[in-house]
Formats: sequence, C-alpha cells, structure tokens
Amino acid sequence: MATLGSLGTVHTTDLLIVGGGIAGLATAIVAKETDPEVDVLVLDKVVSGWGGKANKGGGNYAYMVEEDGFDRFLDFHVHNVGDFLEDQELLLAYGKESRPNLERLESWGVHIYRDDAGEPKFIRWMPQHPWRMCVMDQDMTLNMHRHAIKLGVRFADRVEVIDLLKDGERVCGAIGFGMLDGECVVVKAGAVVLAGGNQCYKLMRRWSSARGEGIAAAWRAGAAMRNAEFGSFINWVFSDTKEVCQGAEDCLYNAKGEQISRAVRPAIESDVHSKEVVAWWREMKAGNGPVCANMAENYVNNVVAPAFHDDKLAFRPVSMKFWGLTIGRAMAASTVQGPMQPVLPGFIGEQSPVMVDHDMATTVPGLFAVGDTSAGGSSLAGAVPAPPGRMRGSGLGFATFSGARCAPAALAAAKAAAGEPDAALAEELKARILAPLGRSGTAAPELVRRIQDVMSPVGNSILKNDERLNAALDEVLAIKEQLPHLAAVDPHYLAACHEVEAMALCAEMFFRTSLARKESRGWHLREDYPERNDAEFVKWIEVHDAGGEMALSTTPVPIERYPFRP
Amino acid sequence: MNAINIDREVCTGCQTCFEACFVDVFRWDADEARPIVAYPEDCTECNKCQLECPEQCIEVVPDYFGTYWPPVV
Ligand SMILES: Cc1cc2nc3c(=O)[nH]c(=O)nc-3n(C[C@H](O)[C@H](O)[C@H](O)COP(=O)(O)OP(=O)(O)OC[C@H]3O[C@@H](n4cnc5c(N)ncnc54)[C@H](O)[C@@H]3O)c2cc1C
Ligand code: SF4
Ligand code: SF4
Repeated sequence: MATLGSLGTVHTTDLLIVGGGIAGLATAIVAKETDPEVDVLVLDKVVSGWGGKANKGGGNYAYMVEEDGFDRFLDFHVHNVGDFLEDQELLLAYGKESRPNLERLESWGVHIYRDDAGEPKFIRWMPQHPWRMCVMDQDMTLNMHRHAIKLGVRFADRVEVIDLLKDGERVCGAIGFGMLDGECVVVKAGAVVLAGGNQCYKLMRRWSSARGEGIAAAWRAGAAMRNAEFGSFINWVFSDTKEVCQGAEDCLYNAKGEQISRAVRPAIESDVHSKEVVAWWREMKAGNGPVCANMAENYVNNVVAPAFHDDKLAFRPVSMKFWGLTIGRAMAASTVQGPMQPVLPGFIGEQSPVMVDHDMATTVPGLFAVGDTSAGGSSLAGAVPAPPGRMRGSGLGFATFSGARCAPAALAAAKAAAGEPDAALAEELKARILAPLGRSGTAAPELVRRIQDVMSPVGNSILKNDERLNAALDEVLAIKEQLPHLAAVDPHYLAACHEVEAMALCAEMFFRTSLARKESRGWHLREDYPERNDAEFVKWIEVHDAGGEMALSTTPVPIERYPFRP
Repeated sequence: MNAINIDREVCTGCQTCFEACFVDVFRWDADEARPIVAYPEDCTECNKCQLECPEQCIEVVPDYFGTYWPPVV
C-alpha cells in the first residue's frame, strides 16, 4: 500500500496556491497579511513573478470612483458589455473595491503613478466610459513576488500541478511533477487556490502560456463550470506578421473600398466585438477580401494608445522597451506599406469557466479559483469572454479583487478542516499523470494543431449554428479519442500532453454550451438564433461531470434582485 | 520557427533568461553555466529573455512569416 512519501517529494502547507501570476501573488500576499503565522506555498510551472500574462500586457487598470457613479458603471456594463448575464452584486462590489485595491497593489510594491494631489493619474479609454484607467509597468509581478517573499510566502518553481487530491469530497492537496526532472510532487494542504490562468489554446503569442490545466484539474475534481460558451475572444492581427493590430475593429474596409465597421459599430466601443468579426467573415465569404484596417483612420492606434504611452501619464521603462520589440518590430517587418493593412481575426479564447461564489469558492469544498481561471465562471462580466470581457483593464482588476476576496475565505476553510489525501488515489493519479513518458504514440503538438484548427474558424467559434457546432464537436470528440495515446519524451512534452488534454476539455465544453444557448447574446452569436431571447435565456449554463460525461444545467440569473433588468 | 541566439562568450551565466521565459523554452547547462535553447519551437517571441539580459548577449529573431496559422474563414 502506497504512502504519499513513497510517491515523490511531499510538501505540506496550510494554503497551496497553484500559479504565481498576479492573481496567485495577490492571494498569497493577502493570506499572509490576514494571518502572518499561516504557511502559504505557491507553485508555478515556470517561475513565479516571471510567469503569466500580467507582465506581457498593456498594464491598464480600470477603476471606478463614487464621483463617476457606481450605478452608471453597472448600467453601462449590463447594456454594453455583459448583456444582463452579469452577477450585478459581484460587479458592483468589484467596482467599489477597484480604487482601494490600487492602494493595496501599491503597498505590495507596484508603482502607481500619481498627480501632485496624490491621486492616481488616469485617462478614459473612451470619453463616455464611467470608469477611469490608470497604468502600471510590466515589473508589477516581480515586485509583488519580492514583497511576498518578505512576508514569508514560500515558492517552489518549475512544478506543474495536474490534479487535486481529496479526502472524501474535500480537496486537501495536489499532485504534479517537476518540469526539469519529471519527478512526482505531492502537496498536502488545508485548502487549494487555483490561479493558473485560463484557456487560450497556445496560439496567439502573448496569451500562449494560458493552456487551461487548472481548469482541467478543477473539472476532474468535480467542480462545476459556468459561462463556457463565451470563451472565444479574438484580437485583430496583421495578416503577414500575425502581430496584434490594435483598433482595427473600427476601421475595416473590404476590397471594394467600402467601410464595413461602421454598420456594426456606429460609435467607438470599449473593445473588439464578435459582431465586426462576423462582418469580416461575411465579406470574405462574398469574395470581398482581403479586408484591410485603414491605419489612417485607426482611432485607438492613433489617438487612444499614444495617450496611454505618453510619458507624462506614466514613464514605464519596462513596458516601452517591450512594446517596441514586439509590436514595433513586427510593424517594421511588415511586407505591406501604406495605411491599408490586411488583417485577420486572431483566435485567443480567454475561456475562464471555473464557477465560483463571491468568496471565489468553487463547488468543491476546499477548492478556490481566482484571476483568469474563474473570471467567466464568477459571472462578473456576463455574456463575454473574460477577461477582458470587452472592458480593457479588468484582467488585472479581477486578479486583484478575486485574490483579495479569496484569501480570507480560503484560510478559514484551511483552518476549519484538515484532510488527509487518499494515498491509493494519489498513486493512481501519479500513474495516469506520468503515463505518456516513455510511451510511443501521438505527439502533443499534432493534437494542439487539430484543436486550433477547429476553434479558430469564425464559423465555428464566433458566428455559430447548429450544423457547424455539431461538426466541430464531433472533431473534438475524435481528438479526445486520441488523448490516451499521447506520448512524451521528457517533462516538457509531458506538460504538453496535459495541456492538450485541457484544451480538448475546454473545446468540448465550449461547443456543448454554445449548442445549448439557442439565442444571440453579448459575444455569443448564433446564425440560426439571431435574437436575444430574454424569456428563456436570462440564465447561466453550467456544466457538471456526470460519470465522465458532460451534463448541462441552467440557473436563472436572479434578475429581480438586481437594479438593471432587460 | 523563431531563433534564439546566445553569444556564449559574453554570457556570464546569470540565469535571467532561464528564469524569465514564461513558456519553458530554456534548460540550464550546469557544467558550462550557460542557457540551453531546448524548445525553440515553443518560443512566442515575448522577447523578455532578450530585454532582461544584463549583458545584452541574447537575441530573439522572430519568424513572423513562418508562424502556423489555422484556418479562420
Ligand atoms: C497581451 C495581453 C495584454 C493584456 N493587457 C491587459 C491590460 O492592459 N489590462 C488588464 O487588466 N489585463 C490585461 N491583460 C490580461 C491580464 O494580463 C490577465 O488577466 C492577468 O495577468 C491574469 O492573471 P492570472 O494570475 O490569473 O493568470 P496568469 O497571468 O495567466 O498566470 C498564471 C500563472 O500560473 C502558472 N500556471 C498555470 N498553470 C499551472 C499549473 N498547472 N501548475 C503550476 N503553475 C501553473 C503560469 O505559469 C503563470 O505563472 C492582458 C493579457 C495579455 C496576454
Ligand atoms: S522570447 Fe520569450 S518565449 Fe521566446 S525564449 Fe525568450 S522569453 Fe521565452
Ligand atoms: S540573461 Fe544573458 S547573461 Fe544571463 S544567462 Fe542569459 S544570456 Fe547569459
């Protein structure tokens, strides 16, 4: 009979946090601030503080203040962003805590740029937005990491967590392997917080680290998922370099020289929308491609972005060099000269469906999820891929908000009941996790490509209909059949096997829930059900494991309790 | 595929690039105290390794036009 100690390296902690990006770091820091005596361990598959997306992003942080009207913020959000699927109580709390959370971030070593009166310097992305946007530099997570170490948070890097360990129904640890040596790693913990980011299918460059392993671990532990049908975010990219073309959404032209954005976006909006992707697709189908972004008319690129990058707002040395070498270098390498630049939608996903309550507790006792892992599943943003949920600056905001909310609740759970992981189950999991090593069979990259090929077409993931969704689901199920044959030559590729398993799971969930939502709402557009159907679909679609199969159910949005109703 | 070129003569073995990569491209050669570009096929050209190298002896050469791109239409 196996003991945990015979399986590999064993760590013991009060609170285990899986992922040392901004959400995991925020959770760890608040846990230590709440109780300095508590033991907090953060594991990351790469290196905490360096990993994740926050230090590869725009650094925009959206916040709301009383003066701009919290009601106006809610009103704007339900009508322009989440289409009445928001948890309006959580969204309001998020709005109210967003400004105090800036002070928190600052106390953790994140530089906040202030004016002479001591207020954060901000601009509005669009003049009509009832929120403010300030900026941070890309050293934010490294500074938070340093602060966490000072508080006594422990870190173990290059450990990939694959599964959760349980005592009965309660999560009390995790199991994975070392990325360098492939050795099994077991953690016994009072409670576990998943902070491993969301699902972005390893395609678009700076989103590529988000491969959904945390979502998959939660699923196998029995956690319910919610809002999976909205996880098909895109960004516009230049057709040749595949680098992001910010602002293309408002200045698209077909090959006949006709402006096609204006009909679907009469006013400048918060972010990209699936509806202009549909406009692009229809032009391409009609033979009116290539579609170009007219950079001379690109308001976001020419007016908004420079305002954010203005040193007078904030001198950000790390970000400036970063953007120069990524987007700047790609634009210089472009083969197309002049303002008319051919563009394509670049599929991202941002599927973040782990369902959580207001304390970020999942449906499994002892298990919590924060940041990108649960942004959609929290229902904060409604009928949109989250983050950004068509609200730039909400990714960093939700990571901080959810981490700060989660830490006290997770600590309380950790103290309430100490579980002992079932060693026999852990042994079975170890065998499953390491099985691809040394086996001959299918290489993970081959299946990754097949999944990208099925998620990426606009007809599958943006403008949906029954026929295409069913065909896409069939292909995902065929890919799923291949998963037991995945083979890995070393720990790096072993990780890749688990990533592709998570991608297949998320893709299946996406197509099943997309089929179930027989209406168009927010980001989710159905060719065969083009209208919003408030009579039947002011509800959240949830996915549960039923004996290895996905079972769907719905929960009505408690709209009668909320201030804004359809 | 992107290329990651390291001038091993100038490199001081500080490990910054090895730490900085968010998609596990590097391994560490402990004998030589130098980074190994083990999985260049996974490099997504975030450029952090190049930007953070104190000796400026690592260069990422993006292969923009060789990027695999799935069907979109
Ligand atoms: C290009 C780009 C621009 C962006 N711009 C902005 C912006 O301007 N404003 C804004 O608010 N948001 C922005 N975002 C979004 C924002 O960066 C994210 O919402 C935020 O970083 C999410 O933080 P996270 O900690 O939840 O997840 P992540 O940043 O994805 O971090 C997850 C961490 O967990 C680790 N990990 C994952 N799985 C495992 C596992 N199984 N075991 C161990 N470790 C694991 C990863 O290595 C990583 O370190 C942007 C994102 C991108 C990609
Ligand atoms: S550019 Fe980024 S992804 Fe590529 S090797 Fe360097 S750190 Fe890793
Ligand atoms: S960061 Fe530069 S100096 Fe340091 S190990 Fe890497 S290549 Fe060498």
